[in-house]
Amino acid sequence: MNRAARRWRLVAPAAALACWAAPPSAHAAKDAAPPAARVEPDVSRLPAPGTYKLPRLFAAPDGEVLRPDGRRLRLAQVLAGRLSVVSFIYTYCRDPEGCPLAWRALDAVHAALLADPALARQAQLVSISFDPSHDTPEQMRLFGGARIADPRVRWWFLTTASVPRLLPLLEGFGQDVSVELDARGRPTRTLNHLLKVFVVDGRRGVREVYGVPTLAPQAILNDLRTLALEAAVP
Amino acid sequence: MTRRWIRTAALVAALSPLAAGADETCNSPYMANLVKGQEDFVHVWTLGVKGMGDGNDKLVTIDAHPKSKNFGKVVHKLSVPGRGEAHHMGFTDDRRYLWAGRLDDNKIFVFDLVNPEKPKLVRTIDNLASKTGFVGPHTFYAMPGRMLVQALSNTKDHGGVTGLVLFNNKGKIVDKYPMPVGDVGGAAGDGYGYDIAINPAKNTMLTSSFTGWNNYMMDLGKLVKDAEAMKRFGNTMAVWDVKAMKAQKVLAVPGAPLEIRWSLKEGDNWAVTATALTSKIWLVKQDAQGQWQAKDVATIGDPAKIPLPVDISITADGKGLWVNTFMDGTTRYFDLSNPEAPKQTYAKQTGRQVNMISQSWDGKRVYITSSLLANWDKKGEDNEQVVRAYDWDGKDLKLAFEVDFNQLQLGRAHHMKFSVRPAGKTLGQLQGGTRVAALQ
Repeated sequence: MNRAARRWRLVAPAAALACWAAPPSAHAAKDAAPPAARVEPDVSRLPAPGTYKLPRLFAAPDGEVLRPDGRRLRLAQVLAGRLSVVSFIYTYCRDPEGCPLAWRALDAVHAALLADPALARQAQLVSISFDPSHDTPEQMRLFGGARIADPRVRWWFLTTASVPRLLPLLEGFGQDVSVELDARGRPTRTLNHLLKVFVVDGRRGVREVYGVPTLAPQAILNDLRTLALEAAVP
Repeated sequence: MTRRWIRTAALVAALSPLAAGADETCNSPYMANLVKGQEDFVHVWTLGVKGMGDGNDKLVTIDAHPKSKNFGKVVHKLSVPGRGEAHHMGFTDDRRYLWAGRLDDNKIFVFDLVNPEKPKLVRTIDNLASKTGFVGPHTFYAMPGRMLVQALSNTKDHGGVTGLVLFNNKGKIVDKYPMPVGDVGGAAGDGYGYDIAINPAKNTMLTSSFTGWNNYMMDLGKLVKDAEAMKRFGNTMAVWDVKAMKAQKVLAVPGAPLEIRWSLKEGDNWAVTATALTSKIWLVKQDAQGQWQAKDVATIGDPAKIPLPVDISITADGKGLWVNTFMDGTTRYFDLSNPEAPKQTYAKQTGRQVNMISQSWDGKRVYITSSLLANWDKKGEDNEQVVRAYDWDGKDLKLAFEVDFNQLQLGRAHHMKFSVRPAGKTLGQLQGGTRVAALQ
């Protein structure tokens, strides 16, 4: 680890040990009610899978990531050959008005894949931490819980060794994040970012990006099925 | 942490009912970082004028915070090479970058607003026409991870038949979509384009129609005397399945329907537009069968005098609509409480010629600019070039400041976007020496 990377890791807080370690499902269950102001997308107005094309928006970035067991691998290895639903998270994200929106969608996609083994064999979920100083591999292991080992649906819970390792991934996906400063100009714990969920094809092409207004499990599943049909064409 | 989620909640709240929202109410519903309070800066995309200053198009930044010592003053100007009919701008989904287009030479300039007080030019896109055959990048509409651009014309005949172009946020063209022609859903598409407005919850996009390069680059006095040229304006809107990017229906809306604004009020699913040549407000909403329909619901001024409504701005609660009419220099307010029957309740002459109008999210401040197109602006003393800021108390527009672009040798003031000083720093900025999260 280079010096810069080490410095990032050094700011890992003692408080990390007290972070939320419940699995996503528990979190989703706790915050089952959707945010009052969000208008759910009317999925009945979406086109049927296979009747539309998803443009190849950009190539997913590559970079070193860490598995929950601490082993290093390339993100390209994770994404190659699978349809992936990629998102950036942090494990201490608990506010009922925030991350649960994404977790509900990802949990619903996970449940749908459990019910569709054929699609599950082609697809996977990939969650990457925004905050390597807090979300160590062990933290991600606790966070992912039983999902990590579930062979029916592959769900990666990844982190990076340092912020310098993370930055190229954020940049490559076009995922913004900023750190709020306090009155004296010092960084706070507050991270601001635009919620994004990426649908990536087996050639590592980003084919769709979801934001708050459009995030719906059915829409993501439609995309996965559309890309599966596309991949089946010789 | 709480503040982070207050922001997120604010985003979600502001996004209803279309999950839509922005600082000024016209921006893409997919955009982040709402400015619901006081804007710090107004960025003005400005057409260069030969012999005036450096003569180049430029992005002019005005300090708009009343408590600033520079309130109402130009604090930055960034020239780009040449003059190419600077026109409209749009932020990327993360509000970090501002895309600004030119209708004549088709160049698109991308400015980084990480420090909004001093925008930086980071990219120039110059392959729109060669890659797509479309001309005149007009509307820049942020979508997640990408930018949808509405062109106005084409390379073959410089007429009004055109299309949409999809860029990724790095500026690479990833797809294009021609505007509908022929019968689509019962009405004939003319292939013209102008504005884009998306209702994400309904997976519905509306587009409108203006005219091609031959007309928008022609002197206005000459144009209005050319009967054949005057026939070549758009008379349609199109309803699209935005996921599939397929036009589903064409709506007959005669007289060049320009800006489109969805109501942002929770539960509403309607939009309005104004037609430039026929001076009407049109309402687009679903009928009892769920089919999108357009109908003429109000008249703007005296259509016989061709006041030329050129821009509209809807209030965040969907109950009011500002309308600028270019020829008479008038800013009008319509009560939209009943969108089926908008009523004009206020009017004030805000200039000798007025074009764009932008309001703050809270509706308390209204900004106007003066330039429509270089060859359509008035001549002589009537060709004033200004940005005027007003305070709106619900009864009257009171001038807060004015920036005279002629006097300052800046050029023609056209499109405006707001920004605020960032509350934080990006991870990249902090990487140099400051620790990331003060988690210690």
